[in-house]
Amino acid sequence: MLEILSLPPIMKGLIVITVAGLTFPLAGLYLFRLNLLPMRFMLMHGAILGGSVALAFQINPFWTTIGINILLVVFMSRSSRLLKMDLGHISMFFMVITISLAFIFIYKFNVPAQDTLTLLWGNLYVLSWVEVTGIGIFSLALVGFQYFFRRHLRALFFDREVAFTSGFNESLFYYIVVMVVAITVALAMKLIGALLLDAILLLPPIVATFHAKSLKGMIIGSVLWGGVFAAGGFLLSVAIDIPASSAVAALACLVFIVMYLTRKK
Amino acid sequence: MDHSLIVTQNDKVIFTSNQHWLYPLFELEDFLKQHPIDASELFLRDKIAGRAAACLMVYLGIRHCHVGLISQRALSVLDLHNVSYTYDRLVDQIQCRTENMIDDEMSISDAYLLLRKRAGRVKGLPVKLDAVSLQMEEKRLLDKVDLFVDRGEQLVIHGSNGVGKTTLLRAILGFVPLVSGTIKVGDYEVGSSAWKKNRSMVAYIHQESIKNGFPITAGEVVKIGLGNSRLTRNDAEMKVEVAMRRTGSFYLYDQLYNTLSGGEKQRVSIARCLCQNAGVFLLDEPTSFLDQRGKDDLLELLYEVIHNEAPTMILVSHEHQWAQRLQWKSMELKGGAFC
Repeated sequence: MLEILSLPPIMKGLIVITVAGLTFPLAGLYLFRLNLLPMRFMLMHGAILGGSVALAFQINPFWTTIGINILLVVFMSRSSRLLKMDLGHISMFFMVITISLAFIFIYKFNVPAQDTLTLLWGNLYVLSWVEVTGIGIFSLALVGFQYFFRRHLRALFFDREVAFTSGFNESLFYYIVVMVVAITVALAMKLIGALLLDAILLLPPIVATFHAKSLKGMIIGSVLWGGVFAAGGFLLSVAIDIPASSAVAALACLVFIVMYLTRKK
Repeated sequence: MDHSLIVTQNDKVIFTSNQHWLYPLFELEDFLKQHPIDASELFLRDKIAGRAAACLMVYLGIRHCHVGLISQRALSVLDLHNVSYTYDRLVDQIQCRTENMIDDEMSISDAYLLLRKRAGRVKGLPVKLDAVSLQMEEKRLLDKVDLFVDRGEQLVIHGSNGVGKTTLLRAILGFVPLVSGTIKVGDYEVGSSAWKKNRSMVAYIHQESIKNGFPITAGEVVKIGLGNSRLTRNDAEMKVEVAMRRTGSFYLYDQLYNTLSGGEKQRVSIARCLCQNAGVFLLDEPTSFLDQRGKDDLLELLYEVIHNEAPTMILVSHEHQWAQRLQWKSMELKGGAFC
C-alpha cells in the first residue's frame, strides 16, 4: 500500500482530499444550517453547464465550472432580492434553466455528453498542480473566513433577524456565505464528484450534531470528521481497490449510522 | 469650596459634589458602585433636600444625614425609613416640580426610577411613530398611527391575533417597509444610513427564537449581543458573565440553548439584549411558550431589568391578564389604530 501511496498522483490525491476533508465541512455547515440544500442541487446542474461550456469552447473545465457557479449564485441572489422570492424557489428555477442550457450546449457544439457527465463522478487523480494550489489557497481562505468572522457567522447561524438587530451586516454575510458554499461545492465536485460530494460537505456536520455541545464543538467536530472521512476513505480505497469517492462516502455513511444508533441508545 | 454635598466616613471626607438638584446624589450612587463601602456607615451633608432627595438617600442606603434646608415631606420619608437626621431649617415644601410627582403611595424603588428618568439617567431611548401606515400584502394593518414612548418608559401593546402587533415591532426594527410616515428611535430615523450604523440600539426578542434547534450554548447566544464591538476576549467574557448573572442565567452558560425551558430561554435572550447595550427592548409575545411559573419569573425579571437598566420597553402580548400584572402603560391595537 505504501508503494501505491508513493506514486505522485496518488500522494497528491491523498493530500488534496485530506485538506478538503479538513476544511470543506465548514461550508457544509453553512449549507446545512442556512438550509441551502436546493442551492446545492442547482450548483450540481451548474457544474454540468460549466463542463459543457468548457468542452464546447475547449477551455479548462475546473475554472469554468467554478466561474459559472459563482455567476449563478450572483444571479440567483440578485433575483431573490429583486423578486422578493425565497432562495429555495429561485434555486429550483435556476436548476431547470442551467440543465436546459447545458443540453443546448451539448447538442449545438457536439459535445460528448459522457465527457460532461464524468463531472458527476469527479476525478481526484488528474488534478494539475495549479488546481491543487487553488484548492489549497481556497481551503486556507475558508479557515480564515471562519476564524475571523466567527462572531458574524455565529449570529447568522442563530437567527438572521437577531444578527441584524445585533448590528451585523447579515445580508452581506449571507451573500458571502452563499458564495463560499458555491465555490466549495464546485471544488468538491471536482474532487469526489457531484453525486458523492455530500460525504465531505454535509455528513461531517450532521454527524457532529450527534455529539456537539456547542457551536464551537460542532465546528471542530465537523472538520475532524471531514478529515477522518476523507483520509480514511482514501486509504480504504487504495487498500481494497475501490473508487476513492465511493470509499469516502461509504465510510462517512457507516460512521453516520453508527453514531446515529449510538445516539439512539 | 462650598460643596453642595459632602459625604464622610468616620469623620473623613470621602466624597464631595458641586452639582445641583439631584445630581450630587446620583454621582454618589456612581461612587458607591465603584467602591465597596457600606452606605449605612456614611454621614451625608446636603444643602437642600425635598421628598425626591430623601427617597434617593433611602434608596442608596444612607442612615445618617444633616440637611441645611429640608421639607416636611422629606422628613416623613426619612422618618418612615428610620434615617437619623438633623437640619438647620424646615419648610413645608421645596419649590420643585419633582416634589409633587412623588406621592405617598409610591415605593422607594418606583420613586428612584421616576427620578432617574427625570434626571435623564436611563439607558432607554425614545421611540416615536409619526403617521405610520403599514400594510401586509393587501391588508392595511396600521393607518396613520402616532405613538410616543419616552426614554425609559414601558408600554404593552395588546390586541387580538392578526391586528398587526408583531408587524409594528418589526417596522420599528426596520424589517417592514412603511407605506407612509416615519419612525424614530432616539435621534435616528429608521431606515436612514445613520440608523443602519446604530441599529443595535434596539434589541429584539421574538417568538421564533424559542424554536432554534441548532447546537449553540446559552453563553454563545449571549455573546451574539456583543455584536461588532472590539473587546478583548477577557472583556467580552466578563460582559457576558455580568449580563447572565444579572438575569440569573449564568448557571446555564454551557448548556445547549435548545435544551432550555421557555423561561430559561427568555432569561438568556434578555441577557443577550443587556450585552447588546440596547436602549430599546422589543419583546414579541414573550409568554408564548411559558407555563405559569415561567410567566411569574419573566415578570420578576423584567421588573429587575427596568430598575437596573431602565431601558425603553415595548412588549406585544395577547395575554391581557398577564400584561396587566406588569402595571405598564397599556394600549390596544384594533382596526389599524390604537384605542
